[in-house]
Amino acid sequence: MSVPAIARLELNRLYVRPFAWVLAAIALAVLAWFFLLDLNAFLAAQPKLASQPGNLGYTDLVAAPHLLAFTQLSLLLAPLLTMHAIAGERRSHTLPLLFAAGLSPARIVLGKFVAALAYLWLLLALTALMPVTLAHATSPDWGQFAAALLGCALCVAALTAIGIAASAFSSHPALAAMAALLVVLVLTMLDAGARLGGIDPGWLDYLSLPTHLTPFMHGLVRSVDVIYFLLIVVLSLALATRRLAADKVRG
Amino acid sequence: MPPAPPLLQLDHVSRRLAGREVVADVTFGVARGEVLGLLGVNGAGKSTTLAMIAGVLAADAGKVLLDGQELREHPSLARTRIGYLPENVPLWPELSVREYLDACGRLRGMARAARKRAIDRELLRLDLAPMADRLCGQLSLGQKRRVGLAQALLHDPPLLVLDEPGNGLDPVQTAQLRELIRGLSHTHATLISTHVLGEVEATCDRVVILHEGRVRHDAPLAQDRGALDRAFLAIARGKTGVAA
Repeated sequence: MSVPAIARLELNRLYVRPFAWVLAAIALAVLAWFFLLDLNAFLAAQPKLASQPGNLGYTDLVAAPHLLAFTQLSLLLAPLLTMHAIAGERRSHTLPLLFAAGLSPARIVLGKFVAALAYLWLLLALTALMPVTLAHATSPDWGQFAAALLGCALCVAALTAIGIAASAFSSHPALAAMAALLVVLVLTMLDAGARLGGIDPGWLDYLSLPTHLTPFMHGLVRSVDVIYFLLIVVLSLALATRRLAADKVRG
Repeated sequence: MPPAPPLLQLDHVSRRLAGREVVADVTFGVARGEVLGLLGVNGAGKSTTLAMIAGVLAADAGKVLLDGQELREHPSLARTRIGYLPENVPLWPELSVREYLDACGRLRGMARAARKRAIDRELLRLDLAPMADRLCGQLSLGQKRRVGLAQALLHDPPLLVLDEPGNGLDPVQTAQLRELIRGLSHTHATLISTHVLGEVEATCDRVVILHEGRVRHDAPLAQDRGALDRAFLAIARGKTGVAA
């Protein structure tokens, strides 16, 4: 009961805060603009593409990149959205209220994660609707689109969990946002950095976020990629829970 | 017939914070219908003691028993049996008073109908009805404190734990608060922490003086109010360590 209660409280607070609406409006406006640019480029290149064997279609060139753009934007959205989750409670002295209500640190963390994820998944659904609106005029590869959507949903869950963990370890929401942004940027550019430095990426390649997201964009759902994102979620939430429990022990 | 056990019993409770023993071997009880004042200067360990009772902080040693059951082993007891108002009133400024109380009720697992009844009751009791739809962040300090008190009373707990409830209240609000606490004492056990002697004298049946984390005085409020003044001042100045 308490996880839905926390999640509902968080969603209520998001609903009444202009911040969440402004964030959603800016994100959707930017994505709509990118979508129109991609679509325009696709329409211009379509005659040439049609004459090539094994040609790339609407899903490869418009729909999947559009979902990928949302994920890239989420590198910023998730830290901004989750920065207040626990650091904000700590700052406004509302954590004692949650502890006094008999809520365990795990339930508090889970409730906040569910609420932030629900918000971001709703944005993802609205983003996915843009390419779907043109489905009647083209023939999308629904399998590839579903795989890309699943990949984005998992990646956003991982980014949200990292944001919650950063918030749990910070005393100020702005610090939490910066810490989360730093972690997700490192995870995103890990292998690229190694390649630029002339180092064989090796296991860094496995840790890198794009390594596990790209196959989804090509319609490939691999268990190793699903497990990677789930591991980040579990690890981040476990760390956040541990830090919050330490508040109770350390004071 | 043996006397009924106290509703709340602290049994040799200790707690260190930042390497310093903030609460040391504290033992006292609160009976049903009793208003107990926890008196002490700033930094005496009052808020830490109350936070441990409310389940916000874990005790390093000792037991906190509620109705004979240890809180550490039954954390859900804090949820249903204790109403807690911390020193810094915990409010979500973007919610209206009604939304805030509704969220608090939901967090404590109250059903929708019971929640609605309880919110209406507390809005009326604490004279908050005219500001029920105002945002918590827009209230004055005194109004915020009353909202905080409303959330502590919402689930009608048998034990109220109030940390410096009179802070920030004007004289009229202070008198109303004292009247409210006296009124609640018929049905609730109440534990109030304060550093204001007058507050203890006006509302409490018994007083525990805490100094440097230790209980230095535990006795019913005497008829001779001057005696308490003298005892408190002597303890605060470190001249004596009397445990009555």
